[in-house]
Amino acid sequence: MRLILCDLESADLHRLFPQPLDENGTILIKKDGKIHNCLGCFGCWVKTPGACVIRDQYGDMGEQLAKCSELLIISQCYYGGFSPFVKNVLDRSIPYIHPYFVIRNGRMHHRRRYKNHFPLQVWFYGEDISATEKQTAKKVVEANAINYDCQIYSVSFAPGITEMEGQF
Amino acid sequence: MKIALINGSPKKKDSASGLVLENFKAFLTGDDQIITELHFYRPQITTEEVGKLMDCDALVFAFPLYVDAIPSHLLRCLRQLEWVFTALNGREILVYTIVNCGFYESQHNELAIEMMKNWSVRAGLKWGQGLAIGTGGMLNMLENIKPGQGPFKKMKKAFKQLANQILTRSSAETIYFTASFPRFLYKLGGEAGWRKAIKENGLKKKDLFLQK
Repeated sequence: MRLILCDLESADLHRLFPQPLDENGTILIKKDGKIHNCLGCFGCWVKTPGACVIRDQYGDMGEQLAKCSELLIISQCYYGGFSPFVKNVLDRSIPYIHPYFVIRNGRMHHRRRYKNHFPLQVWFYGEDISATEKQTAKKVVEANAINYDCQIYSVSFAPGITEMEGQF
Repeated sequence: MKIALINGSPKKKDSASGLVLENFKAFLTGDDQIITELHFYRPQITTEEVGKLMDCDALVFAFPLYVDAIPSHLLRCLRQLEWVFTALNGREILVYTIVNCGFYESQHNELAIEMMKNWSVRAGLKWGQGLAIGTGGMLNMLENIKPGQGPFKKMKKAFKQLANQILTRSSAETIYFTASFPRFLYKLGGEAGWRKAIKENGLKKKDLFLQK
């Protein structure tokens, strides 16, 4: 299953994905009502393992990631990272991983809860992303890829929606 | 000199970031320091909170690392502040940031600190310094063990360095702190802690591995 996480408004989403996404086995995570922020309670590890204790529509991101074979993130670039909405969903996605530690690339990371591996593809957009922000963003995606234990990842930048048309 | 200490943890109480700031405050010595303490635990800042930050000379943020970066609620607050400070345009305000993570290595916090630097540029503020703290799982020990003691022996030096930069309104490279404690023991201790926590919730050890 392909998982797309994006912060696009409906009109822009339609420009990038003119065909209905659910017809080709894609799950779309987008702004849809209120999203609560992660409270740092670790309930997703020790109270309801594998699921966020906040039961809004973003409470099962761990399960969604477990079923995904490909993750595409489209986000406005904020200070060299994801937009608040996309970051909010990623913060709520830690039930995907396990609280125990492993050493990966010489550093401590979290162990996997699930066996699936997915390639991570990230598109950052924004009119005036600075060179420094691009450098930070590339490193952030690399760090995310290591934490999710992705073997393949890519980072791309676009000034706006128009430049991303036809890319997906 | 007016200094704002901003706790960026989403936890309303008992946050490691709050404990770090509480201990760090003692290092900001001097007669003419006015310390303002704020806690951004929600995704927006009130007008009153914005007002308190406006006349500060230094902003000191402390927050936990979330997924290699800034927690999303704080990111929303920073966006709000970016607009406020951009409009302010003029007085030099310095930004200092303390990031703590549960991993052993403090280097994991580098990117969150880099993002705070990038935010400072966007908001028209001057970057001061970052302090990256690893072994965050041990920070609750700060309630009983002071910086300079036991595993926090080197924390005193790190706090002194950061405080000195703030009080002299200067900038410097990021400081990295990891508690003086072996990594394998930290890993074992952390895992034992998760087993204890899940049992306290009426579940079994094996439930840590549950899949949906």
